[in-house]
Amino acid sequence: MPNNPITSIQELHDHLYVAMQLEHATIPPYLLALYTIHPDTNPEATRIMRTVVVEEMLHLTLAANILNAVGGTPDLTSPNFVPEYPASLPDGETDFTVSLRPFSCAALDTFLNIERPKKAPTPDKRMIHKGTRRLAFSLQHPGDPKQELAYYSIGEFYEAIAEGLKALGSGGSGSSLFCGDPKKQVGPQYYYSGGASLIEVTNLETALTAISTIIEQGEGFDKGVFNEEGELSHDYRFEQLKFGRYYLAKNAEGKPDTPGHPTGPELKVDWDEVYPTKVNAKLSDYTDYPELSAAAVNFNREYFCFLRLLTKAYNGWPNLLLTDAVPKMFFLRNLMLQLIHVPMPGMTGYNAAPTFEMPSEDITCPGG
Amino acid sequence: MILPVGAMQRTNAEKVGTETYDAVVVGSGIAGAIIASELGKNGKRVLVLEAGEAAGSTLNGYQDYLTRYFATAYKDNQSPYPVNPDVPMPRSTDARKITSGIPVTSGYLVQNGPFGTDTTYTRVFAGTSMHWEAKTPRMLPSDFRMQDDFGIGKNWPIDYASLNDYYEKAERELGVSSDVAVQQDPKLDLKFRPGYDYPMHSIPLSYLDKVVDCGIRGTSVELFGETFELSVRSFPQARNGVPNSAYDNGKGFVPAGAVDTVQSEMGGRCQGNNNCVPICPVQAKYHAGKTLAKALQNPDVHILTQSVASKVVIDENGRVRHIEVKRYHRPSTPEFSTLIVTGKVYVLCTNAIENARLMLASGLQSRNGLVGRNLMDHAYLLSWALMPQDCGTMRGTNCTGGIVNLRNGRFRAHQAAFAADIHNDGWGWAVGSPLYDIRLAVDQQNLFGAELRKELVRRVNRQLLLAFMIDVLPDENNRVSVDPRYQDDLGNMRPVISYTPPEYTMRGAAYARQLAGLVFQRLGAADYTAYDPEDYGYITYEGEGYIIRGGNHLAGTHIMGSSADRSVVNENQRSWEHENLYLVGGGSMPTIGTSNISLTIAALCYKSSEAILKEF
Repeated sequence: MPNNPITSIQELHDHLYVAMQLEHATIPPYLLALYTIHPDTNPEATRIMRTVVVEEMLHLTLAANILNAVGGTPDLTSPNFVPEYPASLPDGETDFTVSLRPFSCAALDTFLNIERPKKAPTPDKRMIHKGTRRLAFSLQHPGDPKQELAYYSIGEFYEAIAEGLKALGSGGSGSSLFCGDPKKQVGPQYYYSGGASLIEVTNLETALTAISTIIEQGEGFDKGVFNEEGELSHDYRFEQLKFGRYYLAKNAEGKPDTPGHPTGPELKVDWDEVYPTKVNAKLSDYTDYPELSAAAVNFNREYFCFLRLLTKAYNGWPNLLLTDAVPKMFFLRNLMLQLIHVPMPGMTGYNAAPTFEMPSEDITCPGG
Repeated sequence: MILPVGAMQRTNAEKVGTETYDAVVVGSGIAGAIIASELGKNGKRVLVLEAGEAAGSTLNGYQDYLTRYFATAYKDNQSPYPVNPDVPMPRSTDARKITSGIPVTSGYLVQNGPFGTDTTYTRVFAGTSMHWEAKTPRMLPSDFRMQDDFGIGKNWPIDYASLNDYYEKAERELGVSSDVAVQQDPKLDLKFRPGYDYPMHSIPLSYLDKVVDCGIRGTSVELFGETFELSVRSFPQARNGVPNSAYDNGKGFVPAGAVDTVQSEMGGRCQGNNNCVPICPVQAKYHAGKTLAKALQNPDVHILTQSVASKVVIDENGRVRHIEVKRYHRPSTPEFSTLIVTGKVYVLCTNAIENARLMLASGLQSRNGLVGRNLMDHAYLLSWALMPQDCGTMRGTNCTGGIVNLRNGRFRAHQAAFAADIHNDGWGWAVGSPLYDIRLAVDQQNLFGAELRKELVRRVNRQLLLAFMIDVLPDENNRVSVDPRYQDDLGNMRPVISYTPPEYTMRGAAYARQLAGLVFQRLGAADYTAYDPEDYGYITYEGEGYIIRGGNHLAGTHIMGSSADRSVVNENQRSWEHENLYLVGGGSMPTIGTSNISLTIAALCYKSSEAILKEF
């Protein structure tokens, strides 16, 4: 396989860790956009944002399942797991960063950039050498901070993982690749949406199915608007907000709509019915306001504790997702709304926002 | 669940009269949806008539229901659904104390009494499944043979075993969460096919359920020489929970999400929002729209909304010739056009009151005069208390568990059986909590701000409400009739209700009240139950006063039987007198036992669908 950067188990683990980091990195900006929409307004935009963010949670868990299956250890609490926003997840064409923004056209443009399908012109162009102008997304290599991974697009990144899995998982020694404890797999009973489902990864076949779910639901990658299951990928979901119209899986001609030409019912977006949160708010913005500061610090701590809970759930306690993680997600939503609903003192026209800055010191979480 | 774009517009007022459908189905609730889906799946051309508007068929329409519900101060069963004078609905707020001989006519139901019922049903797209609670216990084998086993009530022409396969189909369609192991109890005698289990696992018991269970374990009661051990058990419910991977020989189960023309991924699992009645914000609760969406995947299934079936017209042989339909132009005005719809088979799927009302308004009371008679509705007796400790009351769903040990036993020869629900929404049903508690804290304790919030949590957190759902037997004097003096805006005759809970039921109620006292005592709970003699539901029995509430489990107005003399429909719900007419739903049930009726209605619809398909 030319140019395949994954030739060892360690490199595979590192890539899968980055995959979890990447899937998670989309959640704070999507959640913030979702929760900045005024209550009882923009129901359609709310539903689209919610569907996408829930599917990102699915992808995060699928990545954890693959990592577990090949003997790795998911850890959402290691330093830098949560990026500092604006975060560098450039897609290659232009240097763009992902920011924590209220629901807006600017936010939507970023989301479209994140999810845009991009295939490298030839397989040997998948990896981009650092320093080239067409820098693809680049994340720090957890094993070796000095080395950086750079891919043409998220899709190419997952293609590389798929090929790495195939290379390492086939042949005589291949059967030993999937040595993870099957008890750590998070099964389909823990996720529900009308779309795809969780896959327990135990061999090459299930690992590849998990990856294709992530790719297809995400940026689509070389497919039409709808996949075989009739589901829309994220970029087309977001595009609908831009066009103000839904894509149809079965249009008047009995065919699926083609990219750029949605023919479904009208979709109204009221861009003004949004809390104008400060873009990429930081704790330092709240220094002079002890109540806001306390609420923001509290949210960050609770979010960190939630990542700790997920880490435990992904390491052999999947039932925690149902008993603890679900109520905690409602709780986190309420803490976020608390901030989002408050106008920033001294900054006319801006509301406060959660900062997603993870505590640097070791903290104690309720329940251990 | 995708409801195809344009599926609601396949026919219209002009086109509908030009063809003869295989089947005309009146009503789009659980029964109508299942029949339409089954017939459509088998290649039949089906027309569904719905009196309500099409509004609830999209996610945006559903969202409007939710918004209306959240914005309404008084959150009764109908609060999410717009008032439509052309299709009026009974509301619990209409119920009034009835003075003997003077009917109460202010609500949609004309009530002759002597008992004033607050029973309701919802006349919108997807029918009463829009507001139902979605509890789905099967009926017990003994419920089908009350006369044989206990010498009271009526036998069904079919038994539990012959419904078993249909119950399984219904549990799949409605998406029932439970576990067979949890439902097993030697006294209840519920038999399941070996190897069968529910599509999804039980909805977990609430903390309140667990506290009550802990407090009453080891308590037993003696009744007519039989001992009953008390315990709390989870109810089967048609709401999305955790799918059972072993279901269907290991194929598993995929829960049905929200209904919309474009969004297929919405609709969650139960999140405990606790406003299951009247509307689930995430469509975790089953509603018939999910089945209608499936039915409408088939291009030969048509639906016409804003269309009120007004007259069933028969020919000289007693066969239905056509149905007259009043199609109103706008809900706000009484202008309508009259349409004639024809089919080979006609299926009335409105509900026990409306099916009877339509038949009687069409002059079809049947030769034995049984149409409209034997009206039944579970009688609810509420008892409420304050627990000695915090119980987390108000965390949903509305009801997860209850005491079901007294659903069956030899005592049923003498007094009604019941199932007791533990309500997770506190004293809401009894006194209107939490508004009731706010009023007390503000008016009597002069609290405000943080103190008010604290006091509210303190009070509500410990509330326990037991709702006893009590068996009601068929009685010909309990009935639906019509009277040309009472008509709605479209000129359709309104239902006139004459009803009183039978003595058998009141004996069960009196015992339920005693049992509540025992349970409260074991829990160390302070009993706050009080029955106001001025209340419309107040009834005295053997010197004690009780308040009985309606259960919205309407049944018995066209009961099934094995002979044309003593029943209205046969075991397939086909009218004895009108060969091409099926009267479907709770009205066909000769007894209701202690099971919420919808699951059994759904099961009966699968049986009827098979029979209807044989007609072609």
